[in-house]
Amino acid sequence: MGASGLTRILAVASNTYRETVRERVLYNLVVFAFLMTLSGLLLSELSIREDEKIVKDVGLAAMDIFGTLIALFIGVGLVSKEIDRRSLHPLLSRPLRRRELLLGKFAGLGFTLLVNLGAMTAGLYLTLFATGRGPEPQLLKAVYGLYLGLLLVVALALLFSTLTSSVLAAVCTFSLVVAGRFSDVIRGMQDVIPGAPTWLVRLLYFAVPNFRNFDFKAQVVYGDPVPWAGLAWVTLYAAAYGAVALSLAEAALRHKDLP
Amino acid sequence: MSGTPAEVVLEVRNLSKSYRAGHLRARLRPALKDLSLTVRRGEIFGYLGPNGSGKTTTLKILMGLVFPDSGSATILGAPLEDLSWKYRAGYLPEQPYFYDYLTAREYLDYVGRLCGLPVSVRRERCARLLELVGLGHSTDVPLRRFSKGMLQRVGLAQALVNDPDLVILDEPMSGLDPLGRRLVRDIILDLRRQAKTVFFSTHILSDAETLCDRVAVLRAGSLVATGHLSEILNLDVSHYEVLATGGDLDPLGGWPPGVRGHEVLGERVRLEVAEEALLPALEHLRDRRGRVLSVNPIRQSLEDFFLAEVAPREGAWELQD
Ligand SMILES: Nc1ncnc2c1ncn2[C@@H]1O[C@H](COP(=O)(O)OP(=O)(O)OP(=O)(O)O)[C@@H](O)[C@H]1O
Ligand SMILES: [Mg+2]
Repeated sequence: MGASGLTRILAVASNTYRETVRERVLYNLVVFAFLMTLSGLLLSELSIREDEKIVKDVGLAAMDIFGTLIALFIGVGLVSKEIDRRSLHPLLSRPLRRRELLLGKFAGLGFTLLVNLGAMTAGLYLTLFATGRGPEPQLLKAVYGLYLGLLLVVALALLFSTLTSSVLAAVCTFSLVVAGRFSDVIRGMQDVIPGAPTWLVRLLYFAVPNFRNFDFKAQVVYGDPVPWAGLAWVTLYAAAYGAVALSLAEAALRHKDLP
Repeated sequence: MSGTPAEVVLEVRNLSKSYRAGHLRARLRPALKDLSLTVRRGEIFGYLGPNGSGKTTTLKILMGLVFPDSGSATILGAPLEDLSWKYRAGYLPEQPYFYDYLTAREYLDYVGRLCGLPVSVRRERCARLLELVGLGHSTDVPLRRFSKGMLQRVGLAQALVNDPDLVILDEPMSGLDPLGRRLVRDIILDLRRQAKTVFFSTHILSDAETLCDRVAVLRAGSLVATGHLSEILNLDVSHYEVLATGGDLDPLGGWPPGVRGHEVLGERVRLEVAEEALLPALEHLRDRRGRVLSVNPIRQSLEDFFLAEVAPREGAWELQD
C-alpha cells in the first residue's frame, strides 16, 4: 500500500501549479500581449528588415523580467509563507517527506513558469508572423537559456525561504540574482578595492551563480550562432547549481521545528 | 474494557522538549518534561491540561512537525520517523489553515493523493466526508471564503480521508457551534464503534467526561494523572444535595449530625448531606412537614479534579525558571 515518492511529488507539484495560477500569476501575459502588439505595430510602420530586432528584443527582455519576478516573489513564498500560516502542518502529517514537498514545490512553480514562458514565446512568434517574418527556431535557444535561469532563481528562492522570512528571503534572492547578472564586476573587484584578497574574489565569483551564462538574447537577436555545446554546458551548470541550492534547502528544512 | 489488553497503538517514552525563549540570550524554556504514555486500540483517549501545558507540543512532536530534545515514540508499531504509520493515521491541527485558492473538494483530494488512494475512492470519500461535516453545499468554494468553523470542519474531514485507524485531534471542538460540537462527538463515538483509536486534546472537561475511556492530565509539561476516569476521579458518592421547601423549617438550626451545610435560596433550602446522614435528614424534613424537591448524589467531576489538582499549582514552574 502507499504511493511512491514520485506520485507524492507530482501531487504537490500539481497543486502548487493550481495555486499559483489561481493567484493570478499569469496576468503578466496581458501586459506582454500589449507590449507585443505595440512593438508589432511599430515594426509594420517602419517596415525595415533590420527592425524586427525590436520585437525580439522587447519580447525576450519582457519574458526575462516577468519570469524573474514571478520566480522570485512566488518562489520565496512557497515555503516560508506556508510555515508562517501553518498550512504545511496537515500535509506533513501525511506520508510526505520534507524533501518531496520541496521538490514538488520546485516542480510546480517550474511548470507555472514553463506555461507562462510558452505562452509568451507563442505571442512573440505570432507577432513576428503577423508582421511577415518567417519562423525562426534560433529564438527558442534564447528562451531555453532564459528558462534555465528562472529555474535556478526558484531554487535559490526556495533555499532562502527555508532559512528566513519571505521578505528577507526576497531581498537575499534578489541580491544574489543581481550580483549574478553583474558577476564580471566581482571578477574586477580588485580594480575597485585593491586590497581585496584574491581567494575572496575567486570564492565570491564561484559562489555567486553566473546568470549571464543563461543569456543568449543578444546572440539570437543579432543572428550570431548559438552552439549546441554551449546550451549543453549551461544546462549542466544550472543543474549543478540548482542541485546544490535544493540540497542546502533540504538540509535546512529537514530538522527545522515548524511551530 | 475487559479481557486481554488490546494492542498498543501509541506509545510515548520520556519525551522532553524545550523552546527557545528570549531573543539575545537564548534561554530554554521547557514545554514538555519526560512525558510517557500509552494508548491502546479502540480507546478514546482525552489529553487534558490548561493553556500552555504542552498538549499541542506533544501532538506536533508525534506528527513530526517539531523535534523532541529527547525521548521517543512508536505509533501503530512503527517509530516516529517512519512514513508507514502515516497511511493509517489522521491529524487535525490546532486552528487548521489550508490553501486560499483550492476548494474543499480539491484539498481533500490532494490529501487523498498523498495517502496513495485511487481516484475512485478519493472521489467517493471526499463527497461523503464533506457531506458528513456539513459542507455538502460548499464543496467547490475556495477555502479563503470559509469561516473559522468551516475550516475546522474541513480539518476534520481531511483527517478522516484515509479511513485512519488512529485519529489525533487537537482541540476538535474549538471554533464550532453547538451543532458542530455535537457532530464531533458523534464522529468520535462512531469511530469508537468501528474500533478505531482516537487521541484528542481538549479543555472542555464535560466532553472528556462523556467521551473518553481514559484521560491524561498535563500541567506545565508534566503528567499529573493518567488512567480511567474512575481511577482519577472519586466516583463514589461523596455526599448528597437535598433541596427542600415549605413546612416550618428552621433553616438555621436543629439539623441532625451529618448535615454539613445548608443554604437558603429564597423559599427553598439546599442541604449538603453526608451519605450516612441522608435518612435522618429526610426524616427530619418529614417531621417538620417540609417538601423534598430533589435528592442528588454528588460525585467528583473532572472540573473538581482540575480545580483541586491543576489550578493551585499552575504557574509554579514559571517561578523556578
Ligand atoms: N513556537 C514556540 N516557541 C516558543 N515557545 C512555544 C512555542 N510553541 C509553544 N511554546 C510554549 O510551549 C508551551 C506549551 O505550549 P502548547 O502550545 O503545547 O500548549 P497547549 O497545551 O497546546 O495550550 P493551549 O491549550 O493553549 O492550546 C507554552 O509554554 C508555550 O509558551
Ligand atoms: Mg494547544
